[in-house]
Amino acid sequence: MIVYRALLATATAACGIVILARMAPYGLRLETLPGLVLGGAMIGLGVHRLRLIARLRGNAR
Amino acid sequence: MGSSPKPELRRSVTPWGSFSWGYSDVGADIFVGLGLVLAAAAGASNVAFLFAGIVYVSIGLAYTELAATYPVAGGGQYFVLRGLGDVFGFIAGWAVLLDFTIDITLFAWTAIDYASQLLPILVGSNHPWAHFIMTLLCIVGLCGLNVLGVRESTAFQGFVSAMDVASETLILCFGFLFAFRPDLLIHTMRFDWPTPANLMLGTSLAIISFVGLESISQAAQETQRPASIIPRTSIGLILTILVYALAYSNLALGLVPWHPIVDVHGHPVQFWQIFPNSYPGGADNQGKAVALLAAQVPYYGALAAFYVPVLGAVLLLISSNSGVFGSSRIAYAMSSTNLLPSIFQRVHARYRTPVISIVAFCGVAVLELLFAAMPSLDPHFVGIYDRFFHGESGLDFLADLYAFGAATSYSFVFLALIALRLCDPLSPRKFKIPLNIPMTFRGERVEFPVVGIIGFLGIFSILMFTLQTHPLGRIFGPSWLLLGIVLYFSYRKRKGLPILHSQKRDWRKAQVEILRSAGELELMDEYLANLKASDERRAKAQTP
Repeated sequence: MIVYRALLATATAACGIVILARMAPYGLRLETLPGLVLGGAMIGLGVHRLRLIARLRGNAR
Repeated sequence: MGSSPKPELRRSVTPWGSFSWGYSDVGADIFVGLGLVLAAAAGASNVAFLFAGIVYVSIGLAYTELAATYPVAGGGQYFVLRGLGDVFGFIAGWAVLLDFTIDITLFAWTAIDYASQLLPILVGSNHPWAHFIMTLLCIVGLCGLNVLGVRESTAFQGFVSAMDVASETLILCFGFLFAFRPDLLIHTMRFDWPTPANLMLGTSLAIISFVGLESISQAAQETQRPASIIPRTSIGLILTILVYALAYSNLALGLVPWHPIVDVHGHPVQFWQIFPNSYPGGADNQGKAVALLAAQVPYYGALAAFYVPVLGAVLLLISSNSGVFGSSRIAYAMSSTNLLPSIFQRVHARYRTPVISIVAFCGVAVLELLFAAMPSLDPHFVGIYDRFFHGESGLDFLADLYAFGAATSYSFVFLALIALRLCDPLSPRKFKIPLNIPMTFRGERVEFPVVGIIGFLGIFSILMFTLQTHPLGRIFGPSWLLLGIVLYFSYRKRKGLPILHSQKRDWRKAQVEILRSAGELELMDEYLANLKASDERRAKAQTP
């Protein structure tokens, strides 16, 4: 289960990086704002989940 | 406390259970909200979701703090009762009850919409009676299951949530990797920007993608050590829901469909353009937007087209069931604090479930279904609805009321958050919303929550958008509140209870009991020490 959740978290963060990389060339403006926020939020969510998993594994040891 | 112990809920929900409980409730909302927002806000749908999402994050943080501090099942209604008193507690609870009854109908309705993707006999506009009867059967079936006390298990919720999180992550990964074009997104936003009225309508509809945070406090009631567990799981839940809503809306606006979509003249159209009512079948598409989007994602869409409608329908039925369960539980909680007649506390002799509450609120849900479905069932009603309700019916009617109930109850929750920070600073808060201004209030050091003000202004503006742009929401929403207030006043008068004032309650004793039963013994000790120190300070200040 933990491997499955870690994979999902990594996929989410990677997807966020892809979105940021593809939106970045268009600069910061109203049209790109939701996409940039989305990219940031996806990376944040992925990292948050990975940290929780790491803490869970730490506790298990 | 009475001498005979009252039966309590078992605290056995794990962190994942707590997450999946919330997810199976709030996670289903995007299945309903996406199509409605795309139809209303067109090229600014992602902006509508972004604005509603910022408000939602504030609401989520407020619920997290309040649920971790007061881990009881009453949720928003309890927080408002405690922070603002009986009258506002009733109004907030009554608005939540409206949302729960709409929840039952709206999610049962869209569950059938999703099923219709695989079973065309259920498509609403082509076979209105089949759609209506199936929705009705779902509501009656859920009512029966709840009376019998049968609930889906936490394990089942966990399984469906895990499946859905994996599915949505895969859809989004494939979508953003293979079908998303940022230049198309920017072009759509620039040339298909809606009118201000439609943007307001879209924003007010976007908030329905974030409704169901009551589940955080319901989970808090059944989680061991909620003050530690709830903040962790809630923040994950809030971020997950926000990400999905933003991701779907951005993807929908910048999606190059796997299979070209054409209009009646054979001209190619963008994906989001199949949702407005002007597009043939647009109203039907609104109810199954995620399934339609999943099918248009390259490669993975071939598989997703088959299982997403089923997964969506199951998730929506779980959410509909949470409406039946939640409404009876809120009515029970309101009844136990003398906000509603004690009849709502009556439990079935054999099944030990609040049968009156369940049947009464499912009855309201059936009435709402009838009202929503009437013009499609009998064409004679079309003229009446056109004349009096701007032609609104079906999904629009349900979404109108859902947005109204959510915006109203959330507005009160923000006020309660501020009031409780000022009036109850001694309760230990293991999780506190960031951005606070330290100050002294009535001799106590308190922290004023800036996010509470920002969130209140945001949700209050959404409430205003709802009243401004939803013809039915502004008639039926306030009417529901007015009906409730009349019932509340007559009930309190009959019972000889204060009508405009609050009953005297010993909140200190209640808080100790809440923390004790939650297993938060360290927090209970901290609270008792805070009370003692505060009493000593006051006694010292009064000594000449």
